[in-house]
Amino acid sequence: MTLAENLFENLRLELRRGCLTLAVLAQLRQEFYGYTLRKALAERGLEIDESTLYPLLRRLEAQGLLASEWREEDKRNKRFYRLSSDGEQIFGQLLDEWTAINASISAIVNATADTTPSSTTNGNL
Amino acid sequence: MELLDRYLQAVKKHLPWRRQDDIIAELRANLYSQLEDKEAALGRPLTQSEAEAWLKELDPPIQMAARYQPPRYLIGPAVFPTYRHVVRLAWTWGFIIYSIMKVVEIFTVPNPGAGAMLDYFFGVPALFFGIAAWCTLVFAVFEFAVARHWEPVSRLAPLSAGWAPCTLPPLEPAAPGNGKKPRSFGQALVELGFALLGLLWLLLVPHHLWLLFGPGAAYLEASPYRLASALVPFYWCVVALNVIQLGLQFENLARGRWQRPPTWQKIAREVFALVPLVPLLVVSGHAFVVLKHPAQDETLLGPGLATFNDAVFAFLLFVTAITILQLAWSLGKLGLKTWRTRAAAAR
Repeated sequence: MTLAENLFENLRLELRRGCLTLAVLAQLRQEFYGYTLRKALAERGLEIDESTLYPLLRRLEAQGLLASEWREEDKRNKRFYRLSSDGEQIFGQLLDEWTAINASISAIVNATADTTPSSTTNGNL
Repeated sequence: MELLDRYLQAVKKHLPWRRQDDIIAELRANLYSQLEDKEAALGRPLTQSEAEAWLKELDPPIQMAARYQPPRYLIGPAVFPTYRHVVRLAWTWGFIIYSIMKVVEIFTVPNPGAGAMLDYFFGVPALFFGIAAWCTLVFAVFEFAVARHWEPVSRLAPLSAGWAPCTLPPLEPAAPGNGKKPRSFGQALVELGFALLGLLWLLLVPHHLWLLFGPGAAYLEASPYRLASALVPFYWCVVALNVIQLGLQFENLARGRWQRPPTWQKIAREVFALVPLVPLLVVSGHAFVVLKHPAQDETLLGPGLATFNDAVFAFLLFVTAITILQLAWSLGKLGLKTWRTRAAAAR
C-alpha cells in the first residue's frame, strides 16, 4: 500500500466510524440479532466487518443506547438488539447533526464547483 | 464445525473472564447463522479449505477479542498535552536542581577528580528517565481515575475550566526572516547540558591541568616555565562569564523562550566576552608565562620567553579588536532594526 493509499484508508476509516454508529442506530429501530443486522445493512449498501459490528453492538448497549435480550430462534439462542428510549433520543439528535453536516458539505462542494469551472468535482455525496 | 469452534475457543482466551461466555455465545450464534447461510447457498457443507478461507476473512482471534475491549492507553488524548507540558517543566527544573547540586558538590569536595564530571554526565540520562517515569505513572493513574470515575475526578481537577485567555503570554517579536528553524526544546536542553559540562570542566582545570593541556601538562610540569599568578583573575572572569551564560540559558528554558532568545542576550554575551580580556591586557610586563627559577634561568631563557609573552599579548590585542568589532556590528544591526521598526510604526 502506498503512502497516499494508506492516508486515504485512514481518512476513510475515520469518516466511516461515526457513520456506522448512526447506521446501526437507524437500523435498530427494528429488532435484529447481529448476523441479520449485518445482512440488512449490507443489503442497503453498507458492508461492515463482523469484527467491527458485533463489538460495536456491545459498546452501544453498554452506553445505554441499545437494549438486548436473549431469545431462541431456529433452535439457537440469539441476542436481539433494538434501540432503547435513550437511544431513540440520541439517534434523533445525531441524525439532525448528520443531516446538517451533509447539507453543509453539499453546499460547500457545490459552491466550490461553481467557482472553479475547470474542476471535475461533481458535488454529489 | 470443528474449525469454527477452535476459532471461538481462541477468541475466548483473550476475553475478560467475566464476559467471555456471554460474548462467545453471541459470536457463536452469529457466525453459525452466517455459516448456515453460506452452506444453504452452496447446497452442501463447506470444505476444509473454504472454511479456512472464510475464517481468514475474520480478524485473527487476538484482534477480534481486542475489539470487545474498551480503547486502552496509558495517557489519553485529553490528558496528553498537560502530561507533555508537565514532563518538560519537570525535566527543566529537575535538570537545573541536579546541576546546581553537582556544582556545589565540586566546590565543597576538597580535591574533586575528573570522575565528578563523568558522574554528572552519566547521571543526566538516569535523571531524565526517572522524571519521565514518575510523571507517566502519576498521569496514568489520573487517566485511570478519569476513565472510571469521570465525574468526581473532573470536579477535582478541571483540565480546561481554569484556562483564561488573559493569561496568554504577550506577543513575541516577529522571527527574523532568515528562514532559520527555531531552536527545539531538546536542542536547548542539550546546549544547556554541554554548557554545564563546560563549567564543571572549567572548575576542575586548576586541580587537573591535563584537562586543559592534555599530555602537555606533564611537559609544563617538568619544564622551567609556569603560568603566572596574574592569570588567576582571568580564570575567575571566565568562570563568572560561564555562570552568567548558564543563568541566561536556565532563564530562557524556565520562561519558555528557548526557541528565540531575546536579542539583548546576544549583545550582553558579546559585552561579557570582553570582560575576561581586561585582566589579561593589564598584566604587568605581559608576563603570562614566567620562569620557575628566574635567578637561575633568566639569562638563558629570559629573552625567548619575553618574545613569546609579547606574541601572546599581540594575539590578545587582535582578539580584543575582533570582539569589539563584532559588538559594534551587532549594536549597529540592532540600532538599524530599531530605527526601521520605529519608522514603520510612524508611517
